[in-house]
Amino acid sequence: MENSTQESHHLRSENSVTHESPYPLYAMAVSSSPSRHHNHRIALGSFLEEYTNRVDVVSFDPDSLSIKTHPGLSFDHPYPPTKLMFHPPSSNPSKSDLLASSGDYLRLWEVRENSIESVAVLNNSKTSEFCAPLTSFDWNEIEPKRIGTCSIDTTCTIWDIEKNAVETQLIAHDKEVYDIAWGEARVFASVSADGSVRIFDLRDKEHSTIIYESPQPDTPLLRLAWNKQDLRYMATILMDSNKVVILDIRSPALPVAELERHRASVNAIAWAPHTCRHICSAGDDSQALIWELPTVAGPNGIDPMSMYSAGSEINQLQWCAAQPDWIAISFSNKMQLLKV
Amino acid sequence: MKGAIGVRKGAWTEEEDVLLKKCVERYGEGNWHQVPRRAGLNRCRKSCRLRWLNYLKPTIKRGAFQEDEVDMIIRLHKLLGNRWSLIAGRLPGRTSNDVKNYWNTHLAKKVVHHKLDEDDPLGKFAAKANIIRPRPWTFSKSSAWFNGKATLVAPRTPPGGNHGQPSPVLSRQDKESAWWENLFTDSSSDEGQPDARSWPRELSMEEGLNGWNKHSFDADIWELLGVNPEAVIKP
Repeated sequence: MENSTQESHHLRSENSVTHESPYPLYAMAVSSSPSRHHNHRIALGSFLEEYTNRVDVVSFDPDSLSIKTHPGLSFDHPYPPTKLMFHPPSSNPSKSDLLASSGDYLRLWEVRENSIESVAVLNNSKTSEFCAPLTSFDWNEIEPKRIGTCSIDTTCTIWDIEKNAVETQLIAHDKEVYDIAWGEARVFASVSADGSVRIFDLRDKEHSTIIYESPQPDTPLLRLAWNKQDLRYMATILMDSNKVVILDIRSPALPVAELERHRASVNAIAWAPHTCRHICSAGDDSQALIWELPTVAGPNGIDPMSMYSAGSEINQLQWCAAQPDWIAISFSNKMQLLKV
Repeated sequence: MKGAIGVRKGAWTEEEDVLLKKCVERYGEGNWHQVPRRAGLNRCRKSCRLRWLNYLKPTIKRGAFQEDEVDMIIRLHKLLGNRWSLIAGRLPGRTSNDVKNYWNTHLAKKVVHHKLDEDDPLGKFAAKANIIRPRPWTFSKSSAWFNGKATLVAPRTPPGGNHGQPSPVLSRQDKESAWWENLFTDSSSDEGQPDARSWPRELSMEEGLNGWNKHSFDADIWELLGVNPEAVIKP
């Protein structure tokens, strides 16, 4: 489907920086603190179908358009990390970089100058015989001591990482929970294999609110993104679907828009961190599309504003607030930064 | 007469194994309910299937578990627990039965011992938090479609059932505040008490066909969005 509108254009390939990794990549995180003397750090998690996986931290210099590796900033990770995230920007810049990873457990790592040390392994299994693998997690930006994890055992767990203790554990859904996103200090939402998007408020743990359910019952919802610039809007993707579903929490049950221009399944979505109506999506058609949500849509749906074609299926997408001009994507062994 | 006193139980003899094997080789797997008759066996159909899958199937790996298989079993058990079919799924040629037996005879005691040693360092992280199951509120889709206003419906009962009582009804005194307005407040009250502005949960029972009231928002959400509802929703 070609974009015939005037506004859409292709991202020029010279405005991209590529890093090639020795192994296939999946999880990726961009550091939000451009702190002190090192450039923007990016953590890359491997995706090898074996026990021993790897996380490397590289640094990106936007002036020289180069990505540098650091042999010391690398560590083994059990199983592929399902998600990586750096500590949200804090008012205290001298704090060393904290990196969180999810997999069999939630783990915290301290990224120092030349090494990475394990800080904590957060395990909530009471029997400690086995754990329920974590599909995703989200670090609360307003209350950075809170991390919410979600698991295949249908629960979401809210951790207090200052005390290294569980704040709350909720049976959030009827089936596996695939993604979780904080909206505010005490509010989060999650999506599940049961096909629902539910919002939770920690002030009232007895109730949740279903704001969307997939039209075919039990079609899993795989990812959720909450627009931090405009908390009314969320985006989600269904399993094996080429659509990005945009939801307005004020009008639940009905999507505000369905962005249907990908030619294969969508794998990742990210709202623009600096504007309130832009979102990027990427998928198995090897395309990354940037959309601008209009106030009124035309009869044929919404066309993307920009598109970029990568070398192969794009598995991951990160649009970091510290670098609103750059979108990070990963496909097969490569990580690419695209200039918006 | 086959089956007159009931099917045979206990260990399978060589002759029975041969009969079963020939039957599956001739007719393939599946249709297990016909196998006892076709094979001339005095065995229960379930028993025939299990015997084939766990013992007679040619793709089964015989011989002791290799080091890498044992390693895999330990890791997967740590991750998945007693879900033998899932663990065996990652060990080509091994049946879940074999994995389970191997675990119980060789590994269970060893690993439990090891866990007890490891327990202390992890112990301080294991919380005794209670697990809460929130009950979800849902919204009536049909109302939203017809008049563009979302209507709050009674909380959906969890799959466990409602213990035979009619669902409680949500009735809201304060119709002005929409459900979502209370989500994003700067209230510093962290735990327990809901915000004063959040709607009071007055539960009243309702007889009648529907069983619940339908309250609609006074604020026209579409006005807030500033658009014509038909334009935004994809046709």
